[in-house]
Amino acid sequence: MTLTLATLDRDGAIREALENVDGDSRAGFLRKAAVGGAALVGAMAGAPAAGAATSPRDVSILNYALTLEYLQAAFYTEAEREGALRGKAARAAAVVGPVERAHVTAFRKALGRAAAKRPTFNFQGTTENQGRFLETAVAFEDLAVAAYKAQAPRIQSPAVLAVAVSIHSVEARHAAWMRRLVGILPAASPFDDGIGQAEAFRIVDSTGFVTSSATTRAKGKPRFTG
Amino acid sequence: MPDLVTVQVADPEAAALFAREGENSTRQALLRRALAVGGTLTLGGVVVAGLPGLAHSAPSPAQDARILNLVLLLENLEAEFYAEALRRGSLKGELRQFARVVGSHERAHVAFITKALGRAARKKPTFAFGNATRNPARFTAAALALEDLGVAAYNGQAANLTKPTLAAAARIVSVEARHAAWIRFIAGESPAPGPTDQPATAAKVTAAVRRTKFVKSA
Repeated sequence: MTLTLATLDRDGAIREALENVDGDSRAGFLRKAAVGGAALVGAMAGAPAAGAATSPRDVSILNYALTLEYLQAAFYTEAEREGALRGKAARAAAVVGPVERAHVTAFRKALGRAAAKRPTFNFQGTTENQGRFLETAVAFEDLAVAAYKAQAPRIQSPAVLAVAVSIHSVEARHAAWMRRLVGILPAASPFDDGIGQAEAFRIVDSTGFVTSSATTRAKGKPRFTG
Repeated sequence: MPDLVTVQVADPEAAALFAREGENSTRQALLRRALAVGGTLTLGGVVVAGLPGLAHSAPSPAQDARILNLVLLLENLEAEFYAEALRRGSLKGELRQFARVVGSHERAHVAFITKALGRAARKKPTFAFGNATRNPARFTAAALALEDLGVAAYNGQAANLTKPTLAAAARIVSVEARHAAWIRFIAGESPAPGPTDQPATAAKVTAAVRRTKFVKSA
């Protein structure tokens, strides 16, 4: 049997986490994550360049970031639901998962109707086994670090840039954490290199984790500009 | 195993480094120790509240130089701190491994930034670390503070840098964040305490450096 987000999300808990973050029906840690998400949204919404004035390129970058966050959030959510994690790995997932969901929430709210849709995923069993979970988590987090890094100099709005870099370094913390749990050096080199969007998508595609692609509507005629 | 995983995780050199240290007992002890993670996400609200209010001025090469000199001070401080701690020989196990690996990274950062600045590079000050390089507990606390400060300092300047300099700084800041997460892990603190990292203005960074009392002569 293949596991997909859809089969795991029968009770709609993931959807609820994504779309109803202010609801009080979820566990405490999720509500705390929602606070983080709301604050992130506030930071973007309060900025002069946010909303309708955000440039098409920034919207495209935000949607790209959103897609990577969807991937990570779904991965941790599924791992938590599988219940295969123990000890430090379980505790790390319990911290990192809500943070990735908060990033998703923040980007979705900031993008509004321009937000890319959540793809569906099949993590190929990597959420069912602690060793494979940790190795995959390392890969996801290192990829996210490299992806944000490559986009940072392309971002036009200082407010969007401030949010992006403040998430970039958190992804690096996650990467180091997961690497340490795997038993490899948390920081293997003095310099981290960026990975461009095409290469990042090629890597993600090669995993077969994404079973339906996200649509980046912002590349067409952006309805949100009114 | 998917491509992504093998590509990113295959790191035999790093794994060998870890193994060579032979700190299995320490690592197992670490794995057993509980990691306090409760309530850390509440930081989120505070963390980003200050973001739009950051001082922001139009990027220019002259401003790049001022910012690079600020982070050069931090990198020099870190490099000297780890070098002295290793010379004094009081660090054991993973803490020693951390100081050795991270120390080499900070030296590489110093070399990189110094070269980028050329003649504009400020002279390295002299430092006095006292017991922070002698006592492992104090070392850990100071390293944690310095690495978190480094992350905040780079993040706080992102919008003030010209794009090419930002691209270069971005290659360093995530390494500082990895260092911060690692020393936090060793200390039994949450490696990533919030959904965003709070940035610091240049004034706040300078004040934080002053408070350490580690810098003797400018």
